[in-house]
Amino acid sequence: MKPNILFRKKNDSSVSRREFIGTTGGTLGAAIGISLGVGCSQKDSSNSESTDPAAYPSQPLSVICPWAAGGGTDRLSRFMAEKFSSLLGKPAVVVNRTGGSGAVGHHAGATAEPDGHTIMMATFELSTMRHMGISELSYQDYIPVMQLNADAAALIVKSDAPWNNVDELLETIQSKPGELKMSGTSTGGAWDLARAGFLLAADLPVSSVIWAPTKGSAPSIIELLGGHVDVICCSVPEASSQIEAGELRVLAVMSPERLDEYPDIPTVKEAGVDWEAVGWRGLALPLETPEAIVEKVTATAEEITASDEFKEFMNKNGFAIQLRSGAAFEEFLKSQDAQWKTVIEAAGYAK
Amino acid sequence: MELLDLFSWSILIPWILGMLFGVFVGATPGLTATMAVALIVPFSYHLADTRASLALIIGVSFTAIFAGDIPATLLRIPGTPASAAATLDGHAMAKKGKGTLALLIDLFCSSLGGIVGVAMLVFLAPQLARFALKFSSYEYFWLGTLGLGISSMVSGGAIALGWVSAILGLTLSMVGMDIVSGAQRFTFGSTELMNGIEFIPVMIGLFGISEVLRLLSEWQPGVEERQPSKPSETASPGSFFRNDFREMFRALNIIWKKKWNFLRSSLTGSLIGALPGAGADIAAWGAYGAARKFSKKTESFGTGVEDGVVAPTSANNAAVGGAWIPALVFGIPGDAVTAIVLGAFLVYDIRPGPMLFEQDQGQVQGLFWIALITQFFLIPCGYLGVKFFGWILRARKALVIGAVILFSIVGAYSLRNSLFDVWVMLIFGVIGRFMEIRKAPLAPMILGLILGPMIEENLRTGLIKSSGSWAPFFQRPISLFFVLILGLTLVATGISKIRQLNAKSKP
Repeated sequence: MKPNILFRKKNDSSVSRREFIGTTGGTLGAAIGISLGVGCSQKDSSNSESTDPAAYPSQPLSVICPWAAGGGTDRLSRFMAEKFSSLLGKPAVVVNRTGGSGAVGHHAGATAEPDGHTIMMATFELSTMRHMGISELSYQDYIPVMQLNADAAALIVKSDAPWNNVDELLETIQSKPGELKMSGTSTGGAWDLARAGFLLAADLPVSSVIWAPTKGSAPSIIELLGGHVDVICCSVPEASSQIEAGELRVLAVMSPERLDEYPDIPTVKEAGVDWEAVGWRGLALPLETPEAIVEKVTATAEEITASDEFKEFMNKNGFAIQLRSGAAFEEFLKSQDAQWKTVIEAAGYAK
Repeated sequence: MELLDLFSWSILIPWILGMLFGVFVGATPGLTATMAVALIVPFSYHLADTRASLALIIGVSFTAIFAGDIPATLLRIPGTPASAAATLDGHAMAKKGKGTLALLIDLFCSSLGGIVGVAMLVFLAPQLARFALKFSSYEYFWLGTLGLGISSMVSGGAIALGWVSAILGLTLSMVGMDIVSGAQRFTFGSTELMNGIEFIPVMIGLFGISEVLRLLSEWQPGVEERQPSKPSETASPGSFFRNDFREMFRALNIIWKKKWNFLRSSLTGSLIGALPGAGADIAAWGAYGAARKFSKKTESFGTGVEDGVVAPTSANNAAVGGAWIPALVFGIPGDAVTAIVLGAFLVYDIRPGPMLFEQDQGQVQGLFWIALITQFFLIPCGYLGVKFFGWILRARKALVIGAVILFSIVGAYSLRNSLFDVWVMLIFGVIGRFMEIRKAPLAPMILGLILGPMIEENLRTGLIKSSGSWAPFFQRPISLFFVLILGLTLVATGISKIRQLNAKSKP
């Protein structure tokens, strides 16, 4: 090591150097040891035993959550991990691999060892990230196991807003293009794409409302309450406490049919706009996972989702349950992929 | 929920253990308060008593910020971003051998500041929440600018270097996906960079690794063991605690003398904390800047003055209570920690939001009592933390350096299980060392990185909302207020610099 500006003392004695190396070496060793412990050894030696379906699971499981700790996806991941752990008898940890609008986590899930020990909690962004130019990944890079949830987008306004239904809102947008402000997510995020698709389906240009980007639905609800934007687009449960308190009002939801929990809210289809938009979450495994292991994971997921505990958890968190396993999930993902490709291209977000 | 019911062993034990866990995690650079709460929430499900679960979660969430001040003071490595302001005077006091005193002042200010924050929550939550709704992109833009401006002007050293440091931080904050347009900037196709440069590895590197490099560059084998130790740090165990009692009274006495500073800082802290788009980090710098301006000895700030410890530490804890205001009133979390706590509340059938205050008085009161009592428990738990870390730091320097490197690597890695972040941390360690050799302050860089997105996104979103007009940035009353404060701070700093130069040029 040449003495440089960082180690400016010219005459390092051999003692100091030895101590320095000893310290750092020991530290690095310990750090690596701990890091492996922390990461719960996602990449343990993949010996033949670990891919043997009969022995599955032979090591601790990890559930990859592409979003930060504390969010909705994280809560669902943690719930599922706990249930997987108790049913399969191995510890299961949630690994939050955040970043790149979900691309980092989804990438980690697709490239994990295909032995069933790493389960991906895939989210809506998997249907859009390739078309947005964020990632090369699509649903075809996974074996879809089971869809768990689907939250429909909704158009929400302040309770004293002048519009009583979607028609009146569309009328205002048409007569005063570029005046109304909407919010809900970042530009190109799930709810921005939902409202863009809605406007397109109503034969209006995407630019006929101003999209004020925010970090997510929570800050946009604050903006709406403060009167800084006119309409927000997010799921009903995200704004449920304000809706129940009578501060906010839902004009319509973008689901195929009315929501079970909110039977009074009409769909946009009823207003003559042929459009649906849902944010979804579901489990997936890397390609090339042995058939038998996929079956075992699917069976476990089916057992969890059939339980009352799952229903109670989903209800408390305001996640609408939507179960599709195997081929049905794949079919859904395929249609999502096509739908969002069209919207992203029409909205000019395609890269 | 009755108050006295809270004092049963089945509640107290998880509560106190949780707080000790919070102290440990918060004091470890890189392990964040968010992580502490996220780890404890699944554990809380296993407690039979709902109140015990709530006490555990609230206890952890309220201790981590004080704990972050411990390494900030003793090692100059902020444990949480909100503790960066404590690296100035707190650490300067520690270097003079008054580390324990600084931390005791810090501890009492944190506890008392926390009480002010909770009091604001109890008495003024709905009103403050309504006021916070007046804040939109325009106001948040100025608030972020003000926070960054203050940190670059008060962090010590030449103001120009403070600005350079802040601008470097702002530049770094531009890396990654831009939420306004969705475009990727300076990512060079790397998915790791898409989410931007995480500030936690940068913070650990800038402060922690650069300090390690400094210590190594001054390394003189054998010499340090013979260094005269400070009297208060080597006493026998018996007098050890007696000395501490004396120090505690000294600390309380100092806070009493600085009561106006304390009060101003706590109120500033809880008000800033109550804004959904701002947090404890801006609160700490705002209070520090204000204390410096109101002080008669402005120039001595940064050299280890007590006012410089009182202000940021009372503000950052008051901000935690403040952050609960929008969280409980609207059911909308202001930051990641509150988000996790709110998620846990849902599981316990507490539904934060406008209806909470109207429907369930018992539950709300229970939460308030837990939050308030936690502030008192903070004193013994925090004290143990101070003692524990003080004891570790008295180990041989080689071991301390090793431990710092260890925790820095683990902290950077565990943030999102990414080795990339470890490299970021190491690179910024070297950058930090160079900046220190050039006497450029480090804190504005980290603030630039944290506040950069807030400043930029609010500026651009504001312009989108106003269809390109700049008028709302100056015409809206609260915006104008911030513009005036920023202007006055700039002018005042300019005048004091000119005076200094004049004084120097006179023989």
